[in-house]
Amino acid sequence: MSRNPYVRKMSKTTWFLTHGRYRSYILHELSSFFVAIYTGILIMGLLRLGSGPEEWAGWLEGVTSPAGIVFHLLAFAFAIIHTVSWFKVVPQAMRIQRGEDFVPGQLLVRAHYGVLAGVSVVVLILAGIA
Amino acid sequence: MAKSPKAIFWLLFAAGGTVTAFVLPVMILVTGLAPAAGLFSDALSYETMNAFVGNWLVKIILFGILSLAAWHAAHRLRVVAHDFGIRADTFVAQLAYFMAGIATVLALIALLAV
Repeated sequence: MSRNPYVRKMSKTTWFLTHGRYRSYILHELSSFFVAIYTGILIMGLLRLGSGPEEWAGWLEGVTSPAGIVFHLLAFAFAIIHTVSWFKVVPQAMRIQRGEDFVPGQLLVRAHYGVLAGVSVVVLILAGIA
Repeated sequence: MAKSPKAIFWLLFAAGGTVTAFVLPVMILVTGLAPAAGLFSDALSYETMNAFVGNWLVKIILFGILSLAAWHAAHRLRVVAHDFGIRADTFVAQLAYFMAGIATVLALIALLAV
């Protein structure tokens, strides 16, 4: 043990503001807050859907209230941040070997975006536009 | 080899992260922003939603999305708490996973009731 150990001066609560890399890290980690709240809102909606038309109308009223709109705008932005950051690490997380070589990472990333587009179109068709 | 429950929570985190990455943007668009914009008002009417969620395949898919999203968010919020300087990890973990458990049960109850 060194007599004068080096202690890096770094705040325990604001360290993620000190570097661009940390800022983008904390940004995609914070998406979990919005995922959690949005999931809760959706579960509440399903509970109220089962309780009848008035309850369902009440839930829709909450969603369309100013606070509901602000929350969902933020949630949408953080959902995009989550998706982009999640797909970005696909080449590291998913190594597929084909013969002697690995399938190129960028091909896998593009495939993920393709599936994302497909899923989005299916949901939009189910919702009645597109 | 020592057995640890870590793998289970990590698996749920990873599965939830993948599922939410694919479905959440469009779902927030349809259930969160469209009502305020006056879009999809037919699809979001009580009758249509009731019939839609009444379908068993829809119930199973929604249960998968909601429960995995909850476990994904719980695990990540546990890490976020540590990042914000909260060092009571055991308590944070228990609270986060407890909430995810509650969300899973409530999602099941809600879907079965529709």
